[in-house]
This record gives sequence, structure tokens and C-alpha cells, in this order.
Amino acid sequence: MTLDPLKPAFDPVTLAIPIFVLTIIGEIVLSRFGKIKARYEARDTATSLLMGLGSSVAGLITGGAIFAVSLWAYQYRLFDIPMAAWWAWVVIFFLEDLTYYVFHRVAHERRFWWASHVNHHTSQHYNLATALRQTWTGGVAGTWLLWIPLTLLGFPPAMIAIQKGISLVYQYWVHTEAVRRMPAWFEAIFNTPSHHRVHHARNPQYLDSNYAGILIIWDRMFGTFVAERDEEPCRYGIVKNLGDFNILRVAFHEWMAIGQDLARARSLREMAGYLFGPPGWSPDGSRETSKIIKARWAARQAGLSPESPEGTDPTPVAP
Amino acid sequence: MTIRKRGEALTGMNGQTIQLLGSVLAIAAMVALAAWARIPKPCPPLDEESVRRRLAVEYPDDLVDAVWLAADGAGAISRSGDRALVLARLGDCWVARDLPWASALTSRIRGGRVRLKFNDPAAPRLSLAVSGVNPWPPSEPESDPYG
Repeated sequence: MTLDPLKPAFDPVTLAIPIFVLTIIGEIVLSRFGKIKARYEARDTATSLLMGLGSSVAGLITGGAIFAVSLWAYQYRLFDIPMAAWWAWVVIFFLEDLTYYVFHRVAHERRFWWASHVNHHTSQHYNLATALRQTWTGGVAGTWLLWIPLTLLGFPPAMIAIQKGISLVYQYWVHTEAVRRMPAWFEAIFNTPSHHRVHHARNPQYLDSNYAGILIIWDRMFGTFVAERDEEPCRYGIVKNLGDFNILRVAFHEWMAIGQDLARARSLREMAGYLFGPPGWSPDGSRETSKIIKARWAARQAGLSPESPEGTDPTPVAP
Repeated sequence: MTIRKRGEALTGMNGQTIQLLGSVLAIAAMVALAAWARIPKPCPPLDEESVRRRLAVEYPDDLVDAVWLAADGAGAISRSGDRALVLARLGDCWVARDLPWASALTSRIRGGRVRLKFNDPAAPRLSLAVSGVNPWPPSEPESDPYG
């Protein structure tokens, strides 16, 4: 069997669309008859699904340019990695998943990329439809550049595209409350509904954690793993939830907020902070970053004064 | 462009159009199913206790001095010092925001609703139902311990 290194033989996400539809229908119907735990609200569901559709359309617009850059970079590859070799798929599985971890962490911890990713977290629900609430501005934000080193290493662009698709399809099923816990060995290695519920939670102790795509091992290795605790049920959404279901607001609200902040910035340092600082950064520390929210929560837990939590620097984190 | 290539391009476009239409139909069907299923989160009207409970989560460092409830229980404005802490229902969930108390007091009332404006693209406005029983702004003695 010969595989075209430039043109993907198939798109895992496109192939999975019928599965997405059937499983969402299944989750709704089974929940309706009390067989599983799932909450759906019609307008929230519509928003999630329309964001998914819009993301596909946006992908058509920017996908060609992104793929062209990949092809250009592939000319300068260090090695010729054969697409038909089994070991190449094993290696790209790990490297692509590590790349996803880096992308996801950057997308949460730096505002410019958060602006593109935040829409995925705007639902206060956590169900399979939420998985499809995808970005419209990922191509513009440029996070796809993080995958270019794989191309330069010599992995064919088609191989990378297929592995990225497999990762996206894997991440779909973890967006559910219907599965409480997987077997312990599985929870130790793989991203699961339990781990990803924590990732979508806005409880202070759960913020900025569990960035995994397929393997949770990266979070365990790099110190971002937080286990779900039954006594602390996840509250989903973002720190400041959206005021309506308008899909344009879902897609662009953080970009608009960045624009407002840049317009009032008084120096290049402030502009850099607003763009590349953590979400919630402000020059005077009047807003809260995740780090500050978590520190204040920890101080409250320890019974200290919330006004001057010990060990907490109330000044903003420098970008 | 040759006739064959043009034909292929048209077929590709038709394929994408069919895929788009199919997606729209599938979305409509899934949303209709979600509406039919009636499986939202429980979201009963607010009372003073539930407002305080929710605000303790949203604004854990703030003390709530007084609570004004929207006529339909789908929102509340609470005073915390010189700030107003606002809760508003969105679907089966709640949205919280804060603004200066003075701005909340002078917010416009139109169509039986108090319209609160925020300098926040994520929630530029929230509106809460006002009634004769629960007028907005609330009477001073009860709600303004600093007055």
C-alpha cells in the first residue's frame, strides 16, 4: 500500500461526523429516559453545534494556506520518514500528542492564543455537543505553527494531518458526564472524561490543568495534572461566563476585549502584557489571572485573610 | 481551465454544498431533540438565600449587604459596599457581573426591565424584570446601609 505523503488518504474528523451525530442523539435520548447523566439546553446545544459548523467553514478558508506552509517547510526536512513504516506512526503518535499538550497549554496560559481557544470553554454545560464548540480563529492565531517542527523533522504533512485528526476524534468522547471513571490503569495513562471535566471546570482549584490530548502522562510529567474530586463537583464555563448565546460573541469576545485593552494601553510593555500575558493580566493588577484566583482560593482554604493571602503576590504576573 | 477540470471543481463545490446543507439539517434535528428531551440543569427562581449562596461562589471575598430580586426570580442585584453584584439567568445557568452601585442605580428601565450595561464584550448588557412589588431602584432605608 502506498500512501501519499502530501495529500491525506482520509480525514478522521470527516469520517467521524456520523458517529458524532449518533452519539449526541444517544446521549440526549438516554439521558431523557434516565439511563445516563447528561444535561442539555437547546440554545446552548445550538450554539455549540453552530460553532462546530463555523469552525469547519473557517478551516476551509485558512486550511489551504496552512497546508501550503507545511508543504513548503517539508522541502527543508532533516529526514525522510517513511509513511508506511509502523514505527513512524508510533513516534508521531507521541510527538503529535506532546505538541498538542504544548499548544493547549499555550492556548490557556497566553491571552493571544486564549482568545482563539476560549470559545471551546464558553458553555456552562459539559456534554458531547460541547466537544464540537470549536474555534473559528485558530488559523489566524497561528498555533498551527507548533506542528511545523514535525514537518521539518521529516514527518510527511499528510501523516501529521491524519494524526491530528485522530487526536481530535479521540478528544470528542471525553466531553461527557455520562462516564464517571475509567479503569485505574486507563485513567493513569489516557485523557478521560474525568480528567477533561476538570479541564473544563472554572472552580479555582481546577483552573489551568489537564491539557492532555490523548495521553494524560504529559500533565503528570509537567505538573499540570489535577484529579477530579467527588466532593468538589465541576462548575463548567469560564471565569466570567458569557451573557448570551450569540455565536459571534462566543467566537470573538476575547478578541474584542484585547482590542479594547490595546486601545487604552499606555506603553509597549502594557501592549505586550495585554497580548501575551496570561488571561486576566492588567498593568495595575486590578484583574485576576488564574494564578491569583488559585492563590486566593488556597489562602481562603488555609483560613488566611483574602485581602493579603500569604505567599500571594497581588501584583500581576509579568508577561 | 479545461472542461473536465471545471467539472471536477463544480462537483467538489456541490459536494461541499451538500455537506453544508446536511450539517445544517443535522444540527436542527439535534437541537430539536435537545428541546424535546427537556433535560436542562435544575434552575429554580432565585430567593435571597440562593442569591447569597451563588454570590459566595462567584464573589467569595465580597460581603453582601442587601439583595434585590428580579420580579420573575431570573436575576438579582446585590449591594456589596460601593459595588452591585448582578446575577442573571441564561438558559438553565447563571451569569454574574459587577458594576459600580451608582451605575446600577441609574440604569435605564425599559419595557419593565432594568437594563444594566457593562464594559465587557463577553456580557455587554444584562436585563432583569422589574415589578411594582419589587421596584428598581430599591427604597433607600432597606437597601442602603451606607446612605
